[in-house]
Amino acid sequence: MSNRRRTADVARQGLLGVAAVIVLLPFLWIASGAFKTQIALLTGQFWFKPVWSNFQELMFSSTSDYLHDFGNSLIIGLASTAIVLVAATLAAYSITRLDWPRWLVHSLLLWAAIFNMIPPITMVGAWYVMFRSIGLDNTYLGLILAHATLNLPLSLWLMTVFVREIPVEIEEAARLDGCSTPSLIWRVILPLVRPGLTATGILAFIFSWNEFAVALNLTQKATATVPVAIAKYAQEFDIKYTDMAAGAMLSAIPAILLLLLGQRHIVKGLTAGALK
Amino acid sequence: MIGHSIDRRGALLGGAGVALAGLGTPWQAGAAEKAAPFSVVINTSPWFDGFRGVVEQYQKETGNQVTLDVNPYAGSLEKQRSSVRAGTGQFDLLIMNGLFYPEMYFGGFVVPLNEIDPSFKLDPSCATFDDTIYWDEKTKTCNAKTGKLMSMPINPNIPLLYYRNDLYQAHGLKVPQTFDELYANAKALHNPPRIYGMVQRGVRGPADVSYDWFPYLNGFGGELFKDEKGGDFTVTINSEAGRAALNFYLKLAHDCGHPNTGGVGQAEVIQNLVTGKAAHAILVIAAWAQMDNPDKSVVVGKINLALPPHAPGLKSAPTLGQWLGGIARNVPRERQEAVMTFFRWFQTYDAQVKYTVAGAPPVRIDVLNSDMGKQQKYRWMPVMAAGLPLARQMWTVPEGAQIVAVLELRLNQAITGELSSTAALNTMASEIHAIMEKGGYKTGRLPDLT
Amino acid sequence: MGQPRAARAEAAWRVLTLAPSLVLLLLLTVLPLAGLLAMSLTYITWEGGRAHWSFAGLAHYRELATDGLFRTGVGNTFLFAISAVVAEMVLGFALALLTSQARWGQVAYRTLFLLPVLVPGIVIGAMWKLMYNFDFGIINQALALAGLPAQDWLGSRATALASVILVDIWHWTPFCFLLLLAGLQSLPADVHEAARIDGANWWQGLRHVTIPLMIPTILVTLMFRIIVAFKVFDEVYLLTGGGPGTATEVVSFSIYRRFFTQDRAGYGSAMSVVVLFVLALAVILAMQIGRRRSAAA
Repeated sequence: MSNRRRTADVARQGLLGVAAVIVLLPFLWIASGAFKTQIALLTGQFWFKPVWSNFQELMFSSTSDYLHDFGNSLIIGLASTAIVLVAATLAAYSITRLDWPRWLVHSLLLWAAIFNMIPPITMVGAWYVMFRSIGLDNTYLGLILAHATLNLPLSLWLMTVFVREIPVEIEEAARLDGCSTPSLIWRVILPLVRPGLTATGILAFIFSWNEFAVALNLTQKATATVPVAIAKYAQEFDIKYTDMAAGAMLSAIPAILLLLLGQRHIVKGLTAGALK
Repeated sequence: MIGHSIDRRGALLGGAGVALAGLGTPWQAGAAEKAAPFSVVINTSPWFDGFRGVVEQYQKETGNQVTLDVNPYAGSLEKQRSSVRAGTGQFDLLIMNGLFYPEMYFGGFVVPLNEIDPSFKLDPSCATFDDTIYWDEKTKTCNAKTGKLMSMPINPNIPLLYYRNDLYQAHGLKVPQTFDELYANAKALHNPPRIYGMVQRGVRGPADVSYDWFPYLNGFGGELFKDEKGGDFTVTINSEAGRAALNFYLKLAHDCGHPNTGGVGQAEVIQNLVTGKAAHAILVIAAWAQMDNPDKSVVVGKINLALPPHAPGLKSAPTLGQWLGGIARNVPRERQEAVMTFFRWFQTYDAQVKYTVAGAPPVRIDVLNSDMGKQQKYRWMPVMAAGLPLARQMWTVPEGAQIVAVLELRLNQAITGELSSTAALNTMASEIHAIMEKGGYKTGRLPDLT
Repeated sequence: MGQPRAARAEAAWRVLTLAPSLVLLLLLTVLPLAGLLAMSLTYITWEGGRAHWSFAGLAHYRELATDGLFRTGVGNTFLFAISAVVAEMVLGFALALLTSQARWGQVAYRTLFLLPVLVPGIVIGAMWKLMYNFDFGIINQALALAGLPAQDWLGSRATALASVILVDIWHWTPFCFLLLLAGLQSLPADVHEAARIDGANWWQGLRHVTIPLMIPTILVTLMFRIIVAFKVFDEVYLLTGGGPGTATEVVSFSIYRRFFTQDRAGYGSAMSVVVLFVLALAVILAMQIGRRRSAAA
């Protein structure tokens, strides 16, 4: 039995290793571009002499607002993710457990899905006009709300799936103990949907972090985000690849940190223990 | 980038030129005219450093404030559009390119300069970009005779012939004047896969293959419209001249070009040049800065420029890819006047030299003809001086985006062999005719080529 | 205990939990969607700095019916979306399964497999374009080392769409991986034990236990992955611009070109509405099939 286990383990590690290499290679190639001179990248040099000039230009030159935009992206990403997770989780609990009529639940979910199908760029026009008329253009709040709305459909659907998976018995037991709704959500539901919540949060943050079309139109110099900064390197007929690569590498850092931090929460469900 | 540092000899020559010319300028540097702060919407480009540099100079000299809102190219048009269509605009000075300005003119989004300042006169040595800075509202055409001055020339971007001077010396070749001479030279240097005789843009993009092909079309005597300036939009692209132009373009690509021209865009053309894989390319002047930068090129100092060739008896016809500066209508009057103050400063000889030193080609022909052009670094200037007056616009109609979509698709299909050149020309003619008819223009078309 | 008070509090909470989402959706989605519909029925022109709306009825929709480029776009997009998404779901599921059962290195693998989705779309498009480059791309260089001829990946009709699909697979498999992993980790552990004790091997365990339990997660992942695939834009824009010819013309690209580049907001809106309709139909259909399947399971 343990021999078969061991071969299965080795086979598994082997496959995972191969997959990791395949995934990693293009990423490493992009990363290496950040350290090359443009001509070294264009001629596809494999062995190259690394330079820091791309990062220097990115972070310290007078034309680049990258560090400032980085901060903007952090604020907007964290805030919009927080908002969308709260809204989605509360709504998910509400529609699965709090006796809303079926037609309402279905239309809400369907509407969210349909909304998600529209290319965001076709909505920017309407949002720009709306926000400008109430003075929210070129503000953090405007873009935060826009990103929260863009992420809401997926988050709502996902949290609905995860909340629905929680066995009703656990909830009924808590209710019998006299638990009110907010306390129930905070103490019982949230810990049980942690893996799903973390996954959804990670996706929402990454999406907001990388979003370009809406950010470009709803921001100006003061509130611009990282993708807007990076896109400036894709000029009309001259792509500054190495600067882009450097920008992309730096922008991956918070996301990677978030991933590492979030790892603790994508662990095996606690429902097994709770049932026993 | 066209360098931030100038060597001592350059500084001396430049300074001497400035001093001499400064005697004739009406503007006195230091006589600061106070104006309101204004904002500019512009996108990143190889010549952006030049604009930024000259704006910094302006701020230093006059104490007036200017804010630059810098955007990526993708999405610039949307941002400008949102601003001009709102009740009050965010941006005062719009930097528009050939694809944006027809929309701005036709939509009434920019104000004629003389409406803001009736006394303003464009300096006669400024290039007029085939009259695209003027516009006649009634006839809806760009001409200097009946049109009003709508915008300030900001960047004269025209394609020039980039060629490997070192190889020319080695093979004893002369700068080509006609298309046949270009073909001969390209053939002589064509040695795949190490080096291609000529690299052309064949890819279907926002304005790739069509922009690349237009100098050939006009250089062979062909025209898209019969007489756009006169208001006659009869489609004449499928003329014999048009066919000659397209067939030559295809022959050049096939015999001396990149094996996959159908996938070559501007970035690839530049790539081929800087990595030494192209002996010739017809490429915009804005891409020049990379050629002599050792971080970006292996052919430093080896590339020279010439006018795009033409058919015998005709003239070179570089196609405009220009940038114009327009003043938004929906902003407060004092900010519009502030932009005019900037324009008055910008068009002086002094400012234009600073512009060039900072990294952008000047819009004044006299600066182009000055002694600056004798320096190795500015060896492109005499060629630009000769080419600018010959520069041709592609078109100035709001349907431009639809027209270019047709051109891009069909030309790309001709290059990949999906369509024969005759079929491509006829299809383009019929599709463009349909677009112009729908737009209510005076139009017609030539019968199909056989 | 104040019964009526508690009951009222509960009623309030019922509404309060749904309110944030409802508010966001009502305020920020209804208006743009209504605007889109309205624009699809009008001609909009600008003169003298002002907009002129004129009623067009179904003119745009009629024009759409004869638009060959749009049909090609829809066809390409379906082909693209289905091939890419199927590959990503299968690969994502396989990776999620392997990772969830791996003895060690879980944190490393989970982070590694998510890296591609962290890179902005524009960077992916630009960088992969360099990798596919005919003269200097790393792919052709590797082929040359193996003695194989260089390919024009993005420039030849035969390989262009496949090349774009490959980039999409690299980019988006992490999305499926993450969600399916979260789904797997949420499954109660005792179910697998029970199956194993009953003597089922891993394939049977997978087919009859894991997958049926995972169906809700799979369906949601699939649905949203397809929706996003239909909106694919950045990569196509940078890799091929819709070419060669029309080989990689996708629908969002056609919409972008009409709506923005050509400033035909009415026609572009009509396109968006039609795509929305087709997509919604497809999704509803898929959901019905899925619901019937999972009810039978």
